[in-house]
Amino acid sequence: MTIVVEGLSKTFASGHGKRRHTTEAVRHISFTIEAGERVAYIGPNGAGKSTSLKILTGILQPTGGCASVLGIVPWQQRKKLAARIGTLFGQRSMLWMELTPRQSYRMLAAIYGLDGTRERQRIAMLAELLGAEDLIDVPVRSLSLGQRMRCELAACMLHDPEVLFLDEPTIGLDLLAKQRFRELLVRLNEEQRTTIFLTSHDVADIEHVARRAIVINHGTVIYDDDVAAMRRNLLSSKVIEVSLTTPITPIFGPGVIVQSHSDTGMKLVVNTTATSIRTVLDVLLDGPAVSDITVVDPPLEEVIAEIYKQPHR
Amino acid sequence: MSARSIPVTVWTSARRSMVQRAGLAMNATFYAIVVAVLAGLWRAAALSNDGTIAGYSAAAITWYIATSEAAIVSLNTRLIVDIGTDVVSGAVVVELLRPVSVVRQRVLAEVGRVLPRLYICALTGAALCLLVGGYPPNPAAAVLAVPSLVLAVCCNIVAQHAFASVSFWLRESSATWFLYQKFVFMLGGVLIPLEVLPVWLRHAALATPFPSMGYAPARLASGHFQPELLLMQMGWLLVLCGVAAVLFNRGEHRLEVVGG
Repeated sequence: MTIVVEGLSKTFASGHGKRRHTTEAVRHISFTIEAGERVAYIGPNGAGKSTSLKILTGILQPTGGCASVLGIVPWQQRKKLAARIGTLFGQRSMLWMELTPRQSYRMLAAIYGLDGTRERQRIAMLAELLGAEDLIDVPVRSLSLGQRMRCELAACMLHDPEVLFLDEPTIGLDLLAKQRFRELLVRLNEEQRTTIFLTSHDVADIEHVARRAIVINHGTVIYDDDVAAMRRNLLSSKVIEVSLTTPITPIFGPGVIVQSHSDTGMKLVVNTTATSIRTVLDVLLDGPAVSDITVVDPPLEEVIAEIYKQPHR
Repeated sequence: MSARSIPVTVWTSARRSMVQRAGLAMNATFYAIVVAVLAGLWRAAALSNDGTIAGYSAAAITWYIATSEAAIVSLNTRLIVDIGTDVVSGAVVVELLRPVSVVRQRVLAEVGRVLPRLYICALTGAALCLLVGGYPPNPAAAVLAVPSLVLAVCCNIVAQHAFASVSFWLRESSATWFLYQKFVFMLGGVLIPLEVLPVWLRHAALATPFPSMGYAPARLASGHFQPELLLMQMGWLLVLCGVAAVLFNRGEHRLEVVGG
């Protein structure tokens, strides 16, 4: 196992005496992650994501439980672990604005103990993999945010880490840059077998990068499964989009909400625990008015919102 | 971490300063103005006395001021505030995720940033002194002033890191910076040669690390061949490195406990 977390807890205390106040940021979290997995670690603001991430990278010491990353207890051997993991914080740069990425890479390579030959090989390989050959000799301040993030990704991969911790890596990027960045992460994972541990509020990051999602809220894990299974397992609703040749007003059973309705089409949300999709389709197809039907899962965003709404256990 | 990381960090940081040519030019201009004004005042005071002040001739005091100001103006004098801001904002957390000591890496980077500015200030100061005050009063002592100047900025940078570490606890650094700046200017012999101070205050100042940050190179450049000043600087540099490392480690531990 690459990451093992067992009963991890973290309580922050502030104030003294009667004014002493404690906050349980993380409560008995447990999960394991295997080498080469792509995991999204998600939750609403204040759920305990950043605290968990800081514990797993060795910045914070837990108040209970245990954890290991690559067989190392992070808070006991932070520097040893740092040599084997990569970290990318979307809002914190590792590159110096006045210099070119290559000049910053040189310093980072020296910090991680890479010799000159290995440094040049890694820079060339990552620049090619990330499509950054034209960027690494341009001063960082002249790069767009999307270009800079590609160079940041190369910076945190320079020492060939086995695990990559990413905290909101696509924050501030435009749509195309986000899409490209996600593709690069998947490529890195597939070609280098780097384990990816990602926290993000952007649902598309989760959908396009992660295979597995761990959802935490109020400091505890409330969901841990495949991203693909999230919709199936957690929402008992389907969306049906219907195109009509002539206006109709069908009568559905319970659990069917007509979200929109016009002369040329309608959109239905079906609670499948109350009425089966087949029943709704039978009603719709019982006549010549329907020209097309699409049955889709609700957006992942709604699924996650539904998970967040689950009561505090 | 490799030994290679030390020269590479210093050189990479030096390049950061070198690409900011306008910044270097502004720094040198500011330095030249400060030296012209202060050296002018001290020369006038010396000449109105018996040609000397506290044992410094007009030429010697010019070299003194040019050297002590070079050791200060070339620095990022708000370094304490910058470090405090990084601690409070959590920016320092990113540096904790590297396999090297945060304070070691920061000190090396800052030394690298300062060296190009120090080089230009020293050249500008030497040119001004040659123009106004003539050759250095003692060439052998002036040669010793060069490594002493480098040690002075190193002592100052390390001391600023040690003082800045209070922001791990206080979450604030501007008051520390204000206090530190006053100590350096008064007890470090930057504005006033220590010989001008009352005897008790001079002795008190010499028991602190501050004279290593300005007085030592200035005393050498002004013609006093005192190699022991270099030993004093090296000793204080070691002590300050130890203090900064201990305080930063404790501060990092505090982050580990209360959150980054």
